[in-house]
Amino acid sequence: MLEVNNLSAFYGSIEALRAIDLWARAGKITTIIGANGAGKTTLLRAISGLIPTRYGVIRYVGQDITNLEPYKIVKMGISHVPEGRQVFATMSVEENLELGAYLRTSRRRSREIRGDLDFVYDVFPVLGERKTQSAGTLSGGEQQMLAIGRALMSKPRLLLLDEPSMGLAPLVIKGIFTCLKRLHEEGLTILLVEQDAQIALSVSDYGYVMRAGKVRLEGEARELLQSEEIKRIYLGEEQPPEGGSDGV
Amino acid sequence: MGFNIIFNSTGIINFAQGEFCMFGGLFAFTFAVTLGLPLPIAILLAVAATALIGGLMERLMIYPLRNASVITAIIATVGASILFKSLGRLFWPKEAYKVPEFTAGNITIPGVTVSRQFIWVLGLTVVSVLLVYMFFNHTRAGKAMRACSINRQAASLVGINVSRMSLYSFVLAAALGGVAGLINAPYASYSIGLFLGIKGFTAAVVGGLGNTFGAVTGGLVLGLLEELIPGFLTVVLGVSTGYKDAVAAVLLIAVLLLRPQGLVGKGVVEKV
Repeated sequence: MLEVNNLSAFYGSIEALRAIDLWARAGKITTIIGANGAGKTTLLRAISGLIPTRYGVIRYVGQDITNLEPYKIVKMGISHVPEGRQVFATMSVEENLELGAYLRTSRRRSREIRGDLDFVYDVFPVLGERKTQSAGTLSGGEQQMLAIGRALMSKPRLLLLDEPSMGLAPLVIKGIFTCLKRLHEEGLTILLVEQDAQIALSVSDYGYVMRAGKVRLEGEARELLQSEEIKRIYLGEEQPPEGGSDGV
Repeated sequence: MGFNIIFNSTGIINFAQGEFCMFGGLFAFTFAVTLGLPLPIAILLAVAATALIGGLMERLMIYPLRNASVITAIIATVGASILFKSLGRLFWPKEAYKVPEFTAGNITIPGVTVSRQFIWVLGLTVVSVLLVYMFFNHTRAGKAMRACSINRQAASLVGINVSRMSLYSFVLAAALGGVAGLINAPYASYSIGLFLGIKGFTAAVVGGLGNTFGAVTGGLVLGLLEELIPGFLTVVLGVSTGYKDAVAAVLLIAVLLLRPQGLVGKGVVEKV
C-alpha cells in the first residue's frame, strides 16, 4: 500500500533520514521501532508531507506522493496521528473530531459524518462522555484517543501513528493498543512508530528497526520479538548503548 | 478585529491594517464622489476593492514568505504599509477627501443629540462583531481558520490548506478594515493609515491579541479614555486638548509593560 524507496531527508544540513526503504502492506500493521532520535518521527513527517525530502520516492497505492502538500495527502487517504497528540486544545472534543472530517464536510454528507462520529464514540466511549469538554482539559490518554479519533474522521485507508504510548500509564497504553487492534480488524492499514518495542511488535505483522536515520533490521514482528539483538537493545534486557547519543 | 483575524490564523501582526482603512475611505470617495455612484454601491465596491488589495498582499508578499519566520513576515507588513501609503499619496494627493455621510444630520434622543453617522458606526460595529463571531464558530472555513491559529501543523494534518486560510484571513481583515475606514472618517486621506493603525493595534493589544471580543472591549476603553483624559487635563490642569491622540500611544505602552496578555486576554505572550 505504501512504498518508500531510497528516501533521504535533511534537517538543515543534518541528514535525518538516510536511504530508507520501507513497505507498509495493505491490511497489516507495520511498526518502526528504535531509540529516540533514530529518525522514526522524521520518516512519518516526510510521508505526510510535513517536511520536504531530498532524494527518493514515496508511493501510495501506486501513485507518487513525494513532497505533495499535506492536505492533498490526507485527501488521498493517509491520516497522521502526530507525536504529542496535537489536539486543538481550546476547542471541544466534538469540534476536534468534526475538524478531522474537514475535507468531507458538506451538508450532503452530514449524516455520514454523524455516523463516523458515532463510530469513534463507540471505539472510545470516554470521548462521547466528554464531547463538549475542551480538548486541553483531557488527560494524556484521552487526548491520545482524541488524536486517533480525529485522524479516523477523515476515513483513512492508511493510519500513521507516532508514539501513541508516549507518557501514558501501562494500563492506558494497553487500552489504546486494544483499540488499534480492533481498527485493524475492521480493515485499516497501520504504520506505527514506537519506542516501546515490546508492545509495538506484539500487535504488529512486520517490523523495522531504525537507528541513526537508517533501517538496521527488518523482519516478521514475531521473529523480531525473538531476535537476540532486539531483545538485548530494545526490549530492556540490557540498557541501550547511551540512548540519546546514537541518534541524529 | 482585523488585526486579530490575521493574527489568529497566521500569527502575523499586520502593520498595514491601518492602510486597509485608508483604502476603504479613499475608494469610497472615488466611487461615490468622483464616479458619482449611489452610496450603497460605492460602499460595497470600496470594501470589495480593499479586500482585493488584502488578497493581493497575501499572495504577493506573505505567501512567498510562508517558510520564513513570522518576524520576517511582520517586517514585510511594515513595508506593505509604507507602500500602500505611497500609493495612496500618488492616486489621492490631496490632504483630505470628504466621504459623504451615510445619512446626514443628527438624531435627538431625549437628553443627547448624536449624529446619524454615529448610529451607523455603532450598528455596523455590532453587525460586524456578530458576523465575525458566527463565521469563526459556525462555519467550516471559520473553524478551519481557528484550527490554523491553534496548531498549524495539526490543521494541515486534518486536511486544511493552511496557506489558503492565510489568504482568506487577509481578505477578511482587509474587508473589515475597509468598512472601518469608510464609516470611521468623514474625511479620508492617504495619511490616516498609521493613525488608525495605531488605534486599532492598541485596541487589539488592550483587549488581548487574538481575542475578537477583547478587541471590541479594548476599542471601547480606548475611545472612552480618549475623550475623558483630555477633558480631565483641560478642566483640572488647564492643558489643551491637543493630546487626545497621544492617549492611544500611552495606553499601548502601559498595557504592554504591565499586562502584555491584554485586559481580558489569557493567551500566552511569546517574547520576541
